[in-house]
Amino acid sequence: MSIHRRAATRRKIVLMTVATFLLLVWVFPLIWAVIVSFKSESDVLAYPPTVFFEPTGRNYEDALFGGFSILDSLVTSAIVSVSTTLLTIILAVPAAYAFARLKLPAKKSLGFYTLATQMVPPVGLVIPYFLILNKVSMLDTYTGMIIVYLTFSLPFAIWLLVSYMEDIPFEMEEAAFLDKATRLQTLWYIIIPQVRGGIAVTIIFVFLNAWNEFLFAVQLGGNTVRPVTVAMYNFVSVEQTLWAKLAAAALIAMLPVVIIGIAAQKQIVKGLTIGAVKGGGRR
Amino acid sequence: MKDRVNREGGVHQGESRFALALTAPGLIVLILTTTFPLAYLVWSSFQTINLAMPFLDGFAGVQNYVDMWYDARFWHALGLTGVYTVSSVAAQVAIGLGLALMVMQIPAGQWVFRIVAILPIVLAPVVVGLFWRTLMLAPNFGMIDFIVQWLGFEQINWLGAPKPALISVIVIHTWQWTPFAFLVFLASLASLPGDVYEAARIDRANAFQRFWHITLPLLRPAIVIVIIMRAMISLHAFAAIFAATGGGPGTASEILNLYAFKTSFVELNFGYGSALAVALLVITMAVSGVLFYVRTPRRREARA
Repeated sequence: MSIHRRAATRRKIVLMTVATFLLLVWVFPLIWAVIVSFKSESDVLAYPPTVFFEPTGRNYEDALFGGFSILDSLVTSAIVSVSTTLLTIILAVPAAYAFARLKLPAKKSLGFYTLATQMVPPVGLVIPYFLILNKVSMLDTYTGMIIVYLTFSLPFAIWLLVSYMEDIPFEMEEAAFLDKATRLQTLWYIIIPQVRGGIAVTIIFVFLNAWNEFLFAVQLGGNTVRPVTVAMYNFVSVEQTLWAKLAAAALIAMLPVVIIGIAAQKQIVKGLTIGAVKGGGRR
Repeated sequence: MKDRVNREGGVHQGESRFALALTAPGLIVLILTTTFPLAYLVWSSFQTINLAMPFLDGFAGVQNYVDMWYDARFWHALGLTGVYTVSSVAAQVAIGLGLALMVMQIPAGQWVFRIVAILPIVLAPVVVGLFWRTLMLAPNFGMIDFIVQWLGFEQINWLGAPKPALISVIVIHTWQWTPFAFLVFLASLASLPGDVYEAARIDRANAFQRFWHITLPLLRPAIVIVIIMRAMISLHAFAAIFAATGGGPGTASEILNLYAFKTSFVELNFGYGSALAVALLVITMAVSGVLFYVRTPRRREARA
């Protein structure tokens, strides 16, 4: 019996070690980025890398207010992401309700169409959008960028919301119908409060995807509309050696999504699994 | 369910019209923002559109597609796309599943893994590419470069030599998205019925048998859907590769997606770039078609 127990303990230890090692593999690049972001330019270049050094906040100062300020880009990203999210939700919630709960003509083909639009490669959209927006002089405009962002957020949002709406018990609607509520009232007062959680998850996903988008931003934006992801990239291509400042700027730029990720961790995983169980999803 | 049938039987006549009215705005926006540009892409793939030589612009027929057939760089990019997609998806599923099985057996502290796993997922791929390019892989600066030399191996120019560059972009992609597979598998494992395992234990099935005959079949739907979702993302991967290697050195890590992009926006040959993008679209549809076919459980099998 004691042999068994010892074997079990040894197994647990091996398990823990392997799991912890993998954990470190994921967390290390981020921790290292945080460490580097507090180094002075001379400490950064020390090789082998130093672990003990005089921490400095200079990189963060520069990234926010100095010559390498990404403040404007943060504002741009916020405008584009929030507008995209709002528009997406306004369009997707009614559509998803009709898909999930109502007798919709040609429901199957329309559903398939919505799913298929998610499979379009982004590069297959950035090329025509560049040509079209160039023709109508809408490159580097907020309107153009938000329109383009709808291409990936809207089909995804409809798909995700349908999964949540399908789970509402039909009795709720029936009760509302018996009370002579109009269909719109039913949607507003019965359905939407029931799927608050699903709408919140959708908002989180759409916002994260919009905030992190790069391909459309780098090619269809410019000096007016330059989201943080593009600002990050420019850091490296212009200033090869300012890696500590890049780390600081990137960490600032990623702070909103990291906070959302940790705070909404449970909801995100639920959203991922709903997508995984029922299909669809872009990320 | 009975209520629904009743209702669809025509008790509420205006339902279809109301449903159409609710979907119309979203669908019209979808058609205008995705289908219209896509039609434009297909149209431009039959044109010569070269911003560097606009005097040549005009209808090209199938010339772009003929060029593609004889373009060695296209076939190279196509092969890389296959290697990139298959290897990164396989690694994500294998490592994600392995880690999920391990973490399931850890009595406490699972939340630490959940929190850490969410971090790479929420990061922008372009930032992940940049972090790896600088902090991890840069010669005489990056941590991995340092560790390799400290272990006594020869220094490797990770992003500057063809093979290591390809391996690097695959590793970067796997690093970022394995947590996705891990979290999905962890959630699926947690929802598996415990009594089946109890029965298996009574039947003296060993750990491997339990995994092979019980866990794996039960997880099959989750595994297939993770493969579908991750394959789509791999086929369309852009920002991390663009930030880490730009498809280089040369064309060593240039998957089809990047080739279409560079042809259009670096060489300004939008006609040919469009044709390449159409090829990627067709491949994506074919792959997803096959995967969805595999996913749908065959009726006969289910009945047996």
